[in-house]
Amino acid sequence: MIALVRSELYRMATIRSSWVSFVLFGAVAASFGVLNAYWWALFSGIGAFGIAVFTVAQHYQHRTAALLFLAGPKRFPVLLAQVVTTMAVAWVFTAITGITALLKDGNGGATYRHTLTVIPIMAVFGAATAAIVRRSSWLLYGFAVWFVLVEGLVGQMKWPLPISSYLDAARGDPYGLEVFLVWALVTLAVATFTLRRDLVAD
Amino acid sequence: MIETIDLTKAYRKVRAVDGLSFSARPGRVTGFLGLNGSGKTTTLRMLLGLTRPTSGEALINGRPYAALAQPLRQVGAVLEQGISHPGQSGRAHLIGQAMLAGTGRARVDVLLERVGLADDGHRRTGDYSLGMRQRLAVATALLGEPPVLILDEPANGLDPEGIAWLRHLLRDHAHAGGTVLISSHLLAELAQLIDDVVIIANGQIRRTVPLADLYGGAGRRLRVRGRDPERLWRAFEAAGGKVTTDDQVLEVDGLSAEDAGEVAFAAGVPVYELTVDTPNLEQIFLDLATAR
Repeated sequence: MIALVRSELYRMATIRSSWVSFVLFGAVAASFGVLNAYWWALFSGIGAFGIAVFTVAQHYQHRTAALLFLAGPKRFPVLLAQVVTTMAVAWVFTAITGITALLKDGNGGATYRHTLTVIPIMAVFGAATAAIVRRSSWLLYGFAVWFVLVEGLVGQMKWPLPISSYLDAARGDPYGLEVFLVWALVTLAVATFTLRRDLVAD
Repeated sequence: MIETIDLTKAYRKVRAVDGLSFSARPGRVTGFLGLNGSGKTTTLRMLLGLTRPTSGEALINGRPYAALAQPLRQVGAVLEQGISHPGQSGRAHLIGQAMLAGTGRARVDVLLERVGLADDGHRRTGDYSLGMRQRLAVATALLGEPPVLILDEPANGLDPEGIAWLRHLLRDHAHAGGTVLISSHLLAELAQLIDDVVIIANGQIRRTVPLADLYGGAGRRLRVRGRDPERLWRAFEAAGGKVTTDDQVLEVDGLSAEDAGEVAFAAGVPVYELTVDTPNLEQIFLDLATAR
């Protein structure tokens, strides 16, 4: 497990496109923090989802998942290691990019603290979703369409759906935190069940 | 020891692998041969726990891959023409894999040297040629110093020098007591390397024999050219040979070269050419692999 986490962290650090993306997206999130802490919370959530999706789905995209499963033929610990890795990286990413929001926030940094509480759950949700879908482009486009059409236009961000409940939790709503935790755990359960699927060769 | 017992993989109504039973023994290189789509890769992926069998067993040292303790210390695998993230350098890829295998970074440098990538270790693997990616895949497989090697078409993309290098590496591994199972769709590519051959077609075993027996089973034919072909023909037939001709030479089955020479001498016919026609191994393979 520790070896898997170390290997995943090392992989992230040695793929230039990964950390360039982190830096660029982090700069965008931090910029929004200057304007409004709530906007920063939204971009941090998207960032955490993206980190988790890229970490997990890229293994399937580049077929390196086979190497992971050769090292760890019991697949659940592999997924767990990826979840832990993305939780840690997303938390650090959020903590750093939120400094602007923390300084700007008028209510004693409450949004910053609430977001740091809920962001690991977003990482779990993202990693689990990626383990199910296995394709990062599908997930990112799907995320955008889901967010805008389903949760935004249809649900008016009021239905207890994943991103709406994430944003409620980032505002300090305990019910939103619970709902989002349920979403993440259900997704993780589905990911665990579907993890046994064959890895497809070219 | 690698072993499959009645191994089957079905995708809906299609049986990609159908009741496969064979073994690859320590100290020998076993060639796993079949045309494209014959079920080789599916079989190897079932051995490695990447694809679940519909029925049957795929065992390495008597256990399914998933039950092996420290699997990278027991089995090294080369899959799909070298898999790595294209944005990661070859060296970084190996270091990450070394963390998984529980080996030190020092081994990474040793292996980069051994596979001929010491000067290219810093380059992104996306910039590697196919041959370089194959060498990197072999280095990845060797990280944990495993006694069992399973290689899926590892010679793809290698130049003749690379194939010779791979041949020596795998022979040395087998001489040291290791087990090697190597797949290919070209028997000629492996003929100088393998000890045993498993031929698969349409997901089923066609032949499992030592390579020498594959040659022997085909029988040997003599090609004879002399001053008087008709007298030679009659003499060979009288001696028990079966004779045909391609209008250039006589083709004789059922006699050894020594017998044919004596028969020609006794018949008083000068012989200009007497050769043993070695069976075309590739043709034998194709006959077996395409047989229904």
